[in-house]
Amino acid sequence: MKLKKLAAVLMTAIMTISLAGCGSSAPEAAAADAPTRTEAPAAEAPAADKTDKTETAAPAETETASGPVEITVTTTFAGEDSNAQNYKDAVAQWEAATGNTVSDTSATSDETFKTRIITDFETGSEPDVLFFFSGADANDFVNAGKVVSIDDIRAEFPEYASNMNDDLIAASPANGVKYAVPVNGYWEAMFVNTAVLDAAGVAMPDAGYTWDQFLADCQKIKDAGFAPIAAALGNIPHYWWEFAIFNQQTPANHLNIPGAADDATGAQWVAGLEDIKDLYERGFFPDNTLSATDDETFAMFTDGKAAFLLDGSWKVGGIVGSCQSDPEDPSTLDTEKLSHFDVTYFPGKGNRKTTDMIGGLSMGYYITTKAWEDPDKRAAAVSFVEHMTSDAVVPLFAQHTASALKNAPAVDESQFNALQVKAMSMMSGVTSLTGAVQDLFNGDCRVSTFDGMPEIVVGNVSAADAVQEGIDVYKDTLE
Amino acid sequence: MSNIYKSRKYVFLFLAPAFLFLILYLYYPFFVNIYGSFRGIKNLGTFGTKWNTPWYENYVKLVTDPVVRTSLKNTLIMIVATIIGQVGIALLLAILVDNIEKGTQFFRTVYFFPIVISATALGLLFNLIFLYDKGMLNQFLELFGRTELIDWKGEKLAIMTMMIPVVWQYVGFYFVILQTGLNNISQELYESAAIDGATRFQRVWYISLPLLRNVLCTCLTLGVTGALKVFDLPWTMFPKGMPLKETFLTGTYMYYQTMEAKNVDYGATLAVLIVVLGVLLSRLTRRVFKESEDF
Repeated sequence: MKLKKLAAVLMTAIMTISLAGCGSSAPEAAAADAPTRTEAPAAEAPAADKTDKTETAAPAETETASGPVEITVTTTFAGEDSNAQNYKDAVAQWEAATGNTVSDTSATSDETFKTRIITDFETGSEPDVLFFFSGADANDFVNAGKVVSIDDIRAEFPEYASNMNDDLIAASPANGVKYAVPVNGYWEAMFVNTAVLDAAGVAMPDAGYTWDQFLADCQKIKDAGFAPIAAALGNIPHYWWEFAIFNQQTPANHLNIPGAADDATGAQWVAGLEDIKDLYERGFFPDNTLSATDDETFAMFTDGKAAFLLDGSWKVGGIVGSCQSDPEDPSTLDTEKLSHFDVTYFPGKGNRKTTDMIGGLSMGYYITTKAWEDPDKRAAAVSFVEHMTSDAVVPLFAQHTASALKNAPAVDESQFNALQVKAMSMMSGVTSLTGAVQDLFNGDCRVSTFDGMPEIVVGNVSAADAVQEGIDVYKDTLE
Repeated sequence: MSNIYKSRKYVFLFLAPAFLFLILYLYYPFFVNIYGSFRGIKNLGTFGTKWNTPWYENYVKLVTDPVVRTSLKNTLIMIVATIIGQVGIALLLAILVDNIEKGTQFFRTVYFFPIVISATALGLLFNLIFLYDKGMLNQFLELFGRTELIDWKGEKLAIMTMMIPVVWQYVGFYFVILQTGLNNISQELYESAAIDGATRFQRVWYISLPLLRNVLCTCLTLGVTGALKVFDLPWTMFPKGMPLKETFLTGTYMYYQTMEAKNVDYGATLAVLIVVLGVLLSRLTRRVFKESEDF
C-alpha cells in the first residue's frame, strides 16, 4: 500500500514539474549566470576585424571561450530579392571564418513579414540580429528598448559601423537615435516588358513620360490584348499607393502626413487614390487584380502578359532569375529574354517631374537587446553585422543602388547584366530621391488604404473616408 | 484500512494538475481576453494604456461592422457545407464501400489520406489548382476549348473555391467513423432482409441509416463545432479575406484584426463572439442531434 501511495505522490510530482517546466524562465536563469561569464565576449575581436575589413572583409574570430555560437538572424534577403544569393554567400563566409553559425529566418518583405517581426518582439522571440526598416515600422520595438543603439555598441566596440557615413544612417523617427546600420539603398521605378510594348505598338517611355501619355499607352496595350499594369491591388498595392500620392505632390512636401482628409495634404492623398481607382475602372490592371497575389501578377509580367510593373530595386534579381533556366545559376541566363526587360521612371504628373524618384536607405541591421545582454552572443552579433556591412560586402549588395559607405568603391559595370546596366543608366538621370511616406505612416495607419484598396477601387469605400480612417489611427497612435 | 482507492483526497491530487493547467491556459486567458476587449490595445502582450470610449465601443462596432456579418454568414455556410458536404458525402462513400466485397481497406486509406496532410500544404496545393493563369483547372478548360480564364478566387466564386478543399479534406475523417459504425451493424440483419426480398436500397434505408443514427449524431456535432474552428486552409488560400473581405470566417477575421490590422482589442472582442457562438452552437447541436438510447 505504501508503494501505491509513493507512486501516486511521485506521479503527481512529475506532472506538476512538467507543468512548471512549460513556464520556466530560462532567460532569467541565463541572466543570473551572466556575471560568471563576463570574459566570454571577445570584446577586442572587432578591433582585429577592422584592420582587414577594407581589404578582404574576413570576419573576426569571435568564437567565445565557451565555443562556437549560434545567432538567429532575420532579414528580407529571401525569395526574389536581388541579394538573396549574396546574403547566403556572405553568411557562409562569416560562418566559415568564425566557426559560429547562423540560424536564418529571412523572408520576403511584405506586411505579413513586418507583422511577424513586431509580434516576435512583443512575445520575446525576436532574433539576435535583424535587418529591418529604420522608419516608423520599427517604432514599437525601439520604444520598448528592445534594440541597441549604434552609439551604445560603439561604447564597447569603437569601430562598429565606422566605415559608414554617419550622416547617411537614418535615425529612428521614434526618438532620433540611430540603431540600424544600412547596407544598400533602394529605388522604386517602373519595370517594362518591351516585348509587350512592341506587340502593342507602344514606344519605350523616356524621362519626359507624362501621366496622360501613360493612360494613352495603357489603352493601346489593353486593346492589343495585354494587361497594361501587373499589380495585385488586393495584395501589394504599396508601390501604386506611394507613387499615386507622390504624383500629386513634389519631393519637398511628399513626406508630410495629413492632419485630415480634407486638408491640403489629405486632398493630395485622396486624389492619388482616386487615380488608382480610375486606372482600375479603365481596366488597366489584370482581371484578377483583387484576388491575385503579387507572385501571380509578377509572373504575368515576366511571361509577357503585362507591360508595366511598379516595384523596387530588389525586383531586378527576380526578373533576372525569371530569365534563367535555373534561378540559382547565373550561367543559365537567357540574355535574349532579359533584353526584353527595361526599367524607367514613373510617369510624371503635376509638379512632380518624371525623374523624381522614391528611394534612399530605408533598412539596416539592428542588434537586439536580447543578443546584446547575452554574453555569449554579444560579440558574435557585432561581428556578424560588421561583416555584413564591411567595405567588401556592401558593394556586392548595393550594385546599382546607393550605400552609406565612406569609401564606396567605383562600380564595375562589366560585372552587371543588361537590366542592371539599364538601372544604372536610369539612376544617372534622377533629379531627386525622396523617401517613402508610407515608412512614416506607421503599420496599422495604412490598413484602411492598403488592405482597403480593393474596396476603394470598386467604390465600396470612398478614398476620402479611407484616408480619414488612416489619419484617425495615426493620431491615436501619437497619443 | 487505509486504502488509496477509498480516500477522495488522492482523486483531487490527480485532478489538480489538469485543473491548474486549464485555469492557467484556458480560463485565465479567456477572462483576460474579455478585459482586453474593453481596452485600447495596439500590441500583443500588453493591456494597452487606456479604456475604450465608451468602454463598450468594440461591442457596438461588432454589431455594426459589415465584415462581421460577412464572416458570420460565411461561417454558417461553412457549417452547412460541413453537414452536407463532409458528413453527407462521407455517409454516401461509407455506404458504397460497405456494399463492396473487396478493396474496403484501400478506399479507407485513400479517403483518409487528406487528413494527414497539413492544411497549409493543402492550401498551397489548391492555390495552384485554382490559379488564374496556368492553374490546373483553367488549363483543363482550355483543353476543352474555353478561351477566357475563370477567376476561381474572384468575388463570384471565392466562397465556393474556399469550401471545396475544406470539405474535401475532412470527408475521410467522417468516412472512417461512419464505416466503423456500419461494420458494427450485425450482418444477420442484412441477411434476414435479403431473404425477405429487400433491395440494397431498402436495406440501407431501413437498416443501415437507423442503426447509424447515434454515429451520425456524433459526426454532425463534431462537424458543426469543427466548422467554427476552420482557419488555416482558408487563410492560406484567401489571406486578409481576399477578395474584398468576402471570404472572412469568424476565426480568420479575428486573426486578421489581431495580427495584421493590429487592432488587438477588437480581435479580443471577436474572440468573445467566437466563444459565445461556439457555446450556443454546441448546445444547439447537442439538442438537435441528441443520441437515442433505442440504438
